[in-house]
Amino acid sequence: MHLKLFVLSASSVALWIAPLAALDKTLDIHKALQGVSLGAAIACAVTAGNIARKQAEQDEIEEIKTRAIKADIVDEISTSAYVSQTQRQQEAEQILNGEGECSEDVQRLERALALKYNEDEPNCSEHPKQLAESEQNGTSNEDVQRAERILELRTKGWGKLKIILEIWGLTRGGGSKYKAAEAEYHRVIDGVENA
Amino acid sequence: MRAMYLANYFVAGCVAFSLLGWVASLHPIALRGVLCLLGAIAIAWGLSWLLDFSLSKLLKISVADLQALLIGGFAMLLIGLGVFLCT
Repeated sequence: MHLKLFVLSASSVALWIAPLAALDKTLDIHKALQGVSLGAAIACAVTAGNIARKQAEQDEIEEIKTRAIKADIVDEISTSAYVSQTQRQQEAEQILNGEGECSEDVQRLERALALKYNEDEPNCSEHPKQLAESEQNGTSNEDVQRAERILELRTKGWGKLKIILEIWGLTRGGGSKYKAAEAEYHRVIDGVENA
Repeated sequence: MRAMYLANYFVAGCVAFSLLGWVASLHPIALRGVLCLLGAIAIAWGLSWLLDFSLSKLLKISVADLQALLIGGFAMLLIGLGVFLCT
């Protein structure tokens, strides 16, 4: 299209200037050729002008389209930025204003965390009980063993003083420790006899 | 591209005035006819300068565009007839 335009433009100028400059105006044939070439030059110039005008209109339309697309893109970007900024602002305001909801969420999370740790680890409140039970069991086992030992020694004919000395390692005159051992001895004996 | 099409129309106008000169050179009666036509064109051109505002409203173009057209037409006449007479 551009080549055609340039050829037509150049040929219109050539057909206008060349016959007038080169041909003789006194000769009829030359005069006729000048007239024909001038008419052809007008036709070429008008055709080239029309082509150039259509091309210019198309270029304008393309430019308008490009500008519209750019404006759409800019508008879309600015709108999305505005919307996201507004959303962020609203969320921030909700977080700042809605402390009740927030505390509920926090409580829910704390509860969930507590449940998780209860599943993973033994409960701390139950731990002392178990320790106490195991301690008590240990004590009772010790008492049973001690009672069995006392009975064994009694069957052998050992006396109270000798048994206390054997089991607790205390002799009479040991003070409060001896008295406690004697009370324990009696308690075990009474318990065995009652059973 | 806009300059290109304006230039082509300008060249077409110049060639048209050269053709008018060529027609005038064919016969004395044609010369008179062409002179009458040029006179009419000159009157219209002058009136257009005087009535530029109302004419611009009638043609739905700006006054500046109308004045540019008038100046361009005058330039076409000068160049076209000048080229014909000088060659």
